[in-house]
Amino acid sequence: MLNETPNDATSDAVRWAALIEAIASRQDREAFATLFEYFAPRIKTFMRRSGASEQSADELAQETLLAVWSKARLFDPRSAGATAWIFTIARNLRIDALRREKRTGAVYTVEIDSEFHVDDGPQPDANLAMSQTESRVRNALAFLSEDQLQVIELSFFEVKTHAEIAQTLRIPLGTVKSRLRLAMKRLRGLLGDFS
Amino acid sequence: MAFAAGVLDLGQHVAIATHLVGCPHCRAAARAMEHVGGAVLTGLPPAAMSSGARAAVEARLSELVPSSAATPARGAAGLADVPRLPHFVRGYPASPWKWIAPKVHLRLIALPVASATRVFLLKSRPGTKMIEHTHTGFEMSCVLSGSFVHAGGHFGPGDFDLGDGSVDHEVMIDSADDCICLVAMQGDLKLNGMIGRLLQPLIRM
Repeated sequence: MLNETPNDATSDAVRWAALIEAIASRQDREAFATLFEYFAPRIKTFMRRSGASEQSADELAQETLLAVWSKARLFDPRSAGATAWIFTIARNLRIDALRREKRTGAVYTVEIDSEFHVDDGPQPDANLAMSQTESRVRNALAFLSEDQLQVIELSFFEVKTHAEIAQTLRIPLGTVKSRLRLAMKRLRGLLGDFS
Repeated sequence: MAFAAGVLDLGQHVAIATHLVGCPHCRAAARAMEHVGGAVLTGLPPAAMSSGARAAVEARLSELVPSSAATPARGAAGLADVPRLPHFVRGYPASPWKWIAPKVHLRLIALPVASATRVFLLKSRPGTKMIEHTHTGFEMSCVLSGSFVHAGGHFGPGDFDLGDGSVDHEVMIDSADDCICLVAMQGDLKLNGMIGRLLQPLIRM
């Protein structure tokens, strides 16, 4: 899955950021098309794995790319990696879709983006090129075992309790917990102490 | 990680977000988890988009107005003066302070969507000793001001405490001023001992 060389990861990250910047500054449709071709199908898989139907996932992937177009000016390459940024847009649209589905009769509209905006303080790694952080993360994930990667991935897709992950993977509950613990420990080790 | 993945129910999300206000280390960790999300995303196998998808999207591009920076959340007067709350939480409606036990008051925070985890502010006067208790579910506490202490440690502004059925503790407010916490809770308190059993019906959080 993640079998690129470190250079691939960095140059990809830079490439995506450049495409988003092209959209932001001159509404570059070709840049958008490139992003669409690469990300929409992967976002669709993300939505499917999060439980969306085929049609829903297709629509959500389209919505995500539309949001990438509208929000391109908000993308700050210094404070967010391009793929992390796109992931957060997809994530927020997924949350929005899930809430609408539940029809809880919310009495006022909610800005999901704001629910993830918690710091007005200085970015601790503002000086570190974000593309470096992105490739560090990709490389760190490449060091995890297949088992550890699997439990991390599953944690991103839906609210699966450890018991449910254990059931899905047909492994003991204790194994799920220890894999996650080890995976997180390795990630923390590989990524330094995040600051 | 669950916070960055966006899979927590809103109550727990609020508790974690509140902790992140005061914790740059955890904020950086959450941001790193978003990078993990990005890496997971790019590693996924592509699923073919429907045949008209790209054309439909491209047709809508010209009508989309590019966003400027996000507008700040509507400030409801209710929570505006509570320290260390995330911006988006300040916009939630909250009940007035209600007395729930000697020296303890509570403000229920209304979440805009249903959540298994309920959220409230808890204010306890200095020297208050919360009666020994454990939990049927769990309780996340973020200290907003003041401090408290129990067998598991001392907690001051910005600190985060998680209690569940495995703890059985007596909590004391050791600050000179009121201790105000944001609490996210599932399940109920279980008060211990004879006095606990007598008081239990009277204390509803």
